[in-house]
Amino acid sequence: MAELQRDPITRKDFLGFGVLGAIVGAILTIPPAAFVLGPVIKTDVLGESDVPSGLDDWFKVGSIGEVPAREPQVFEVEFPVEQVYGEREIQKKSGTSDEEFVVPNAIWVSWKTEILPDGSYGESLRPAFLDEGGGEPLTPEQIQEAEENINVLSSSCAHLGCPVRWYVSEGAGEFRCPCHGGIYNINGDLVSGPPPRGLYGYAYEIREDGNLYVRHEFEGPGQPYVI
Amino acid sequence: MIGRIRSRTLETGKFIADWMEHRSGIVTALEHFLYEPVPKRGAWIYTLGSAVLFTITLQFLTGILLLFYYVPTTDHAWESVYYIMNEAYFGRLIRGLHYWSANFLLVTIGLHMAQVFFSGGYKSPRELNWVVGVILLLLVVVLAFTGYLLRWDQDGFWASVVGIKIGSYSPFIGAQMTHFLLGGDVVGPATLSRFFAIHVWLLPAALAPFIGIHLYLLRRHGVFGSEFEYADRLAKLHERQRLEEFARYEEDEGEPYVGRRDRADREE
Repeated sequence: MAELQRDPITRKDFLGFGVLGAIVGAILTIPPAAFVLGPVIKTDVLGESDVPSGLDDWFKVGSIGEVPAREPQVFEVEFPVEQVYGEREIQKKSGTSDEEFVVPNAIWVSWKTEILPDGSYGESLRPAFLDEGGGEPLTPEQIQEAEENINVLSSSCAHLGCPVRWYVSEGAGEFRCPCHGGIYNINGDLVSGPPPRGLYGYAYEIREDGNLYVRHEFEGPGQPYVI
Repeated sequence: MIGRIRSRTLETGKFIADWMEHRSGIVTALEHFLYEPVPKRGAWIYTLGSAVLFTITLQFLTGILLLFYYVPTTDHAWESVYYIMNEAYFGRLIRGLHYWSANFLLVTIGLHMAQVFFSGGYKSPRELNWVVGVILLLLVVVLAFTGYLLRWDQDGFWASVVGIKIGSYSPFIGAQMTHFLLGGDVVGPATLSRFFAIHVWLLPAALAPFIGIHLYLLRRHGVFGSEFEYADRLAKLHERQRLEEFARYEEDEGEPYVGRRDRADREE
């Protein structure tokens, strides 16, 4: 203490330095930090998304009639992304580019299939009305039946996000991930490998025209950070 | 004739060196930084650190060259790399050097660390240099990771997705880290811009001062302790011993130690 008293700093000086230091520090650090962390603030604090994912933003996948029993069908959906090329209004006005950036997602669609105790596939729950050619528009009962029995799966492996593909060997098929060997069955449930869970399922709906629509959002808990 | 030219060149060189030395002390500094006494046995193994430094320098140089053609946008990144590889003069060589020396850089860093570890070179007073070295290693790893995405092909793209997903498993800050790297919540144009900024500006700028600190600390303590430092220390030690002896001599009024001992015995 004696040493400190020899060169006294008054309370006034101390507070003055503290306040001044805080102000200067804030001026120097907040703008660059906020500038760089903009996306974190936007996504994690404000809850915004770069892909339009409001309740009205449905994207058409394809006709459910195309999906056969016991085998998934892959569809590609291009979700528009508004990141640094956002503000389509300004782009159109300036005329430099009105091309929007899209992120193509592969979506695996299959009918729910019974899994027998030995892991092989049992009966497929593909709705019968699809074969009868009942014609459009679908009735609400048919829509409900189809919605209950369809799998709409993200192609992104639940482990580290590599795209899975359908692989058929010895009559039985499975989804395999090329990166670390995750294996899923036709319903997207985990069979083996490092993934902590089954494939993520999209929020979807089937409409009267017999087409499947998805939102850029996943059902169930544990939304993936990278899509 | 040739002899005269040679002697005049030598004279001029000496004059320039003297002139610079007088004003900046650069010759002494260079001698201090370049020459290091190492044991004869296994001397090659002490070149690993220089190999790392050389490879990093190569990265800087070829990276600067690549920037003359590379375009960091989603619609042109791949095409510009294709242009470098197929159209630009020696583009394949320049990019090949950048790519392969990046791989070798990690290998040489591993060897360099192994050598320092097994020879105990991280021990006191060199712990801080090990810490700085680990920071350098992490910077280089992140550089390698961010460089992968820049070519914007399937390979780099999915490797980056996997890398970002690994980051998403970090405790507490997984989501924030992911969104910071992605520049949003999906892989898109902002991701490429960010990785470009990190790879080309942020990390090299962070790397350079740490390399400086690493070299400064190396030279401060030397690989084995500097030879000059040892000579210095020995001289100081001898001087101290001499002074101590003289002080004792004065204290005992010039009586030799043997004489004192004998007198002490007699008096008992």
